[in-house]
Amino acid sequence: MFWKRTIPIAIVAFVGFLTLFGWFIDEPNIKVFVEDEATQWYDILASFAIFLGALNLLKLQSQKILKKQKGWQFSIFAVGGFGFSILAGFVIKGNDAIQWGAHVTGKGTLFKWMFEYMFTPLSATMFALLAFFVASASYRAFRIRNFEATLLLISGIIIMLGRVPIGIKISSWFIIYLTILGFGIVVNSYFKNKQITLAFIGGGVLLTTVFGFLMGWPIDRPGIFYLPLLQDWIYNIPNVAGARSIMMGIGLGIFATSMRYILGIEKSYIGE
Amino acid sequence: MRDKQFWIVSGIIIAFLFVYNFIGHPFFLTNRTVMLFAILLFSGTLIYYTRLAKMGEPIFLREIPGLKAVEEAVGRSTEMGKQVLYVPGIMDMDQVETVAGVIVLGHVAKMTARYETPLNVPVSRSIVMKAGREACRESYLMEGRPDLFQDDMVHYLTDDQFAYAAGVNGIMVREEPAACLYMGKFYAESLILAETGNSIGAIQIAGTASQSQIPFFVTACDYTLIGEEFFAASAYLSQKPELLGGIKGQDVLKTMLVGTIIVATILRFLNEMGWISWDVMNFLTIQ
Repeated sequence: MFWKRTIPIAIVAFVGFLTLFGWFIDEPNIKVFVEDEATQWYDILASFAIFLGALNLLKLQSQKILKKQKGWQFSIFAVGGFGFSILAGFVIKGNDAIQWGAHVTGKGTLFKWMFEYMFTPLSATMFALLAFFVASASYRAFRIRNFEATLLLISGIIIMLGRVPIGIKISSWFIIYLTILGFGIVVNSYFKNKQITLAFIGGGVLLTTVFGFLMGWPIDRPGIFYLPLLQDWIYNIPNVAGARSIMMGIGLGIFATSMRYILGIEKSYIGE
Repeated sequence: MRDKQFWIVSGIIIAFLFVYNFIGHPFFLTNRTVMLFAILLFSGTLIYYTRLAKMGEPIFLREIPGLKAVEEAVGRSTEMGKQVLYVPGIMDMDQVETVAGVIVLGHVAKMTARYETPLNVPVSRSIVMKAGREACRESYLMEGRPDLFQDDMVHYLTDDQFAYAAGVNGIMVREEPAACLYMGKFYAESLILAETGNSIGAIQIAGTASQSQIPFFVTACDYTLIGEEFFAASAYLSQKPELLGGIKGQDVLKTMLVGTIIVATILRFLNEMGWISWDVMNFLTIQ
């Protein structure tokens, strides 16, 4: 109990308080520890721990092949890739002119070849999948189901159009006409009368056109209906307000969680 | 004054700070005074409510649908005879989100042990693998089912972001888990994972503090724990009074922050108008 519970909690409390209050202390040794050494210690530990992970991977994949479990063929690639990386990293350099160590980045080496022609394309393939997933996710998010989804759809269209070159060419007049048509739908569904709807849309379009000509509105006036300005406002005002409130919650959550660990209130991380 | 001991200790700390200030505050970076007091105030509030909860003060915690759904998801997996897939993010144990993810894993492992449901936890860091195994082992022990625990239910895939995403996607497509839980720190792979989970029809619950990934999870998952909800998960699932007290403390701090924002906005307005010379922004900006 003492070694498995008390000592780990004491270490967490000591290092936690040192790191927290070290930020307020003007002492070079503490400063170096907090900003540099502590993270380096962790990196060293993590580097050694990689062996545990590698062995676990090798064990599980080998077992799969030997027992011919479901999908064992894929494990051949995993074990083969593992072995090939070890060979390229530690046994076969492929270019005698380059020193060991520098061979991981040096031209003409087996490791560099593996990195450029196997690893990079495979990673890029996975990353490229994102484009398709974004499309399918956007389709689901933008489907008009309720008021919030409609708002999201309209904001999304404004942001997308306002950030591409064609958005600059779309005049405020056009957006006003579209807005009138949009409100026309609302008027129609409320009154359910063709004459009233026609009067609303016709009157609105006429009024906008006459007013626009009289006022001499250029392409970007009134600014509230000009897409680049509108998207800028959405992006910098409501979006930032929402994002900051989430950030504040996250910050408080992180602080409270960290304090719970440091003070030993939360002990689940050592399995209690 | 319900907690006398707390106020006595707080008084001693404040007295010590006064004395320290009086003797010239050696080694102290004076430009960080506001930050220090904020931390002391925040910590004090959290400790106070934690102690109150421990003393038996009833704490109300609003229902969080995402956390309520965790048990539902495990139950669904049990009924379908399929496994629960738990992804604790792609970062190491030096990230508080990963630690929170491992803690939630402990609670999920308790449920899978109770319902005898297979649990699959692919990880991308060796230290997370060790921590995850310990959390699961303890949970299975506490539920009285150590026989169901296997070391390899928490297994390592790779450190690389997209290789890990490919590995987890492979598991999803081959094993078709009935429930996929994503709790930890995520980057661009979040949507790849969540969309694949969606395509296999799994019930999906995500929890992260990675702000840029929240929209992706909201879109692709059935439930999403946004930011602080994720950090409250451990308290919610364990229902331990001392942890619930911390959550109440957090809410009180939030109220304090909102109050500070309102007061600071008014003071800033007065300063801008030239009615007061003191600039609150200089006071609040972290040096």
